[in-house]
Amino acid sequence: MAETETTSGVVTVEKVRGRSTITRCFFKYPLKLILPKKVGSSQVDAVWIYALSYGGGIVSGDQISCKISVGDGCTASVTTQASTKVYKSVDSKCSEQVLEAIIGNEAFLVLIPDPVTCFSTARYSQKQNFRIFSGSNLVVVDWITSGRYQSGERWDFTSYKSTNCIYLDNDRPIFIDSVLLEQSLVCDIAERMQCYQVIAMVILLGPKLKNLQNQIKEEVKKMMTVKLRPPTTNFGRYAKSEAQHDRFVPDLIASCSTFGPQGIGSVIRVTATTTEAVYAFLRTHLSSLEMFLGAPPYCQSGI
Amino acid sequence: MDHSTSKSCTNANHDDKSLLHWTQWQLLDSVLPTGGFAHSFGLESALQSNLIKQPEDLKPFIIQVLDNTGSLLLPFVHTLNKSPDTETWTRLDNLLEATLTNEIARKASATQGSALLRVAASVFREITELKLIRERFIGSGLVFFHHACVFGLLTGLLGFDGRMAQRAYIFMTMRDVLSAATRLNVVGPIAASVLQHEIASAAEGIVEKWRDRNVEDACQTNPLLDTVQGCHAYLFSRLFCS
Repeated sequence: MAETETTSGVVTVEKVRGRSTITRCFFKYPLKLILPKKVGSSQVDAVWIYALSYGGGIVSGDQISCKISVGDGCTASVTTQASTKVYKSVDSKCSEQVLEAIIGNEAFLVLIPDPVTCFSTARYSQKQNFRIFSGSNLVVVDWITSGRYQSGERWDFTSYKSTNCIYLDNDRPIFIDSVLLEQSLVCDIAERMQCYQVIAMVILLGPKLKNLQNQIKEEVKKMMTVKLRPPTTNFGRYAKSEAQHDRFVPDLIASCSTFGPQGIGSVIRVTATTTEAVYAFLRTHLSSLEMFLGAPPYCQSGI
Repeated sequence: MDHSTSKSCTNANHDDKSLLHWTQWQLLDSVLPTGGFAHSFGLESALQSNLIKQPEDLKPFIIQVLDNTGSLLLPFVHTLNKSPDTETWTRLDNLLEATLTNEIARKASATQGSALLRVAASVFREITELKLIRERFIGSGLVFFHHACVFGLLTGLLGFDGRMAQRAYIFMTMRDVLSAATRLNVVGPIAASVLQHEIASAAEGIVEKWRDRNVEDACQTNPLLDTVQGCHAYLFSRLFCS
């Protein structure tokens, strides 16, 4: 991605004397990057980058674009300090964040932010492009809450769009996912989402993550098999059974799919009635990333 | 690609336009053996997750499935209907393979697309491209035969206009979900037919909203249904493949 005047941030991670090192870090308003030296164990070779927005949120019309390069063999983790709030849209303006990331061979990029929360009438769009090679490793958590739902603001924003694209060897698309939540006459967002307040997507890709992918796949299958049961024969045109109505919807639903050539990647989709439930899910299932990052994801967050 | 190849096989007394109606109706008739009825579009999973608790929940479910089909798949139908050539088809088929990140939906799409192409190549023998494409690509690993792409290509070669092709795609989806609903005992066949007529207006609105878009703009509009459909493989007892 060519750097232009609108580029808000650039981070380059390279091996210096055998250790992952941030050799370039540039940022300007509305983006702020913090590079703490001691996040995890110093035995582990990984750098941590915290991305913050001024005022704790994204204001209507903000355009943030960032480029991250993770050099061969390096490990970098990018996270946030708190959920990203997107404030209401003024004059129908849309706020936008774009991330371009290049991950080298045997390199590892872990994107583990807190969720995005769009306030009433907000318009927000984010695009994340990842360029990888067959030996690259990637973890991406991309998630959103329904708003300030404890205050009754549930799925009340105007428009949210999140696009994640992974390209192998520069131009071969292997994962193209675009989620658009927009109020419409067909169906408003709250009706679509029913009682669920959070949706999350976790991407795991690369040779270093093979074991974790298999493990999560089994764990999700085990967890969901218990929650799903065939309806009783009294469903539908016959008498409504009390037992049917007593069955609650699961407070968390997750499913796991593989993608990419030779199934190099896995994508887990989660939806839940509370943010805490998803934090707990992420904490539990991503805990083994500690060996790569020096600290387990989401252990300080959402508690 | 010669769109008027159908002329050589038709009775000289009828014009192409009249005969096209017969082709359209045949393609949309559920009697065409494309195996569409092995798939419930996430309905079976939604039932077992208790997201659909009573028959009244079916109508919004179907409308949401159609809306998501419109936003995600109509761009592929539209682009291939406009440009039914091999290069566009292989490129878009590979793009759809990357876009269908839900494994359940992706496999269902490939299965249905293969079946559709096989039937179409046998039935519309005058369109030799269909047989040639099948022979060239089957087993090659270069394409996945995704349903929306095969459908777009086929309608393009048959000479359907774009709006008709996209409306047909939404119609077929609605037809198949309703059929699954009857077989899952959510509604009876007459109630399903009543629903089909009631939803027609919303379905037309969905076609209008999502038609003629570029594949770069393809997106999904219902992550809850996507998550739930992905659970299909976890169902202990199931009637459908997806």
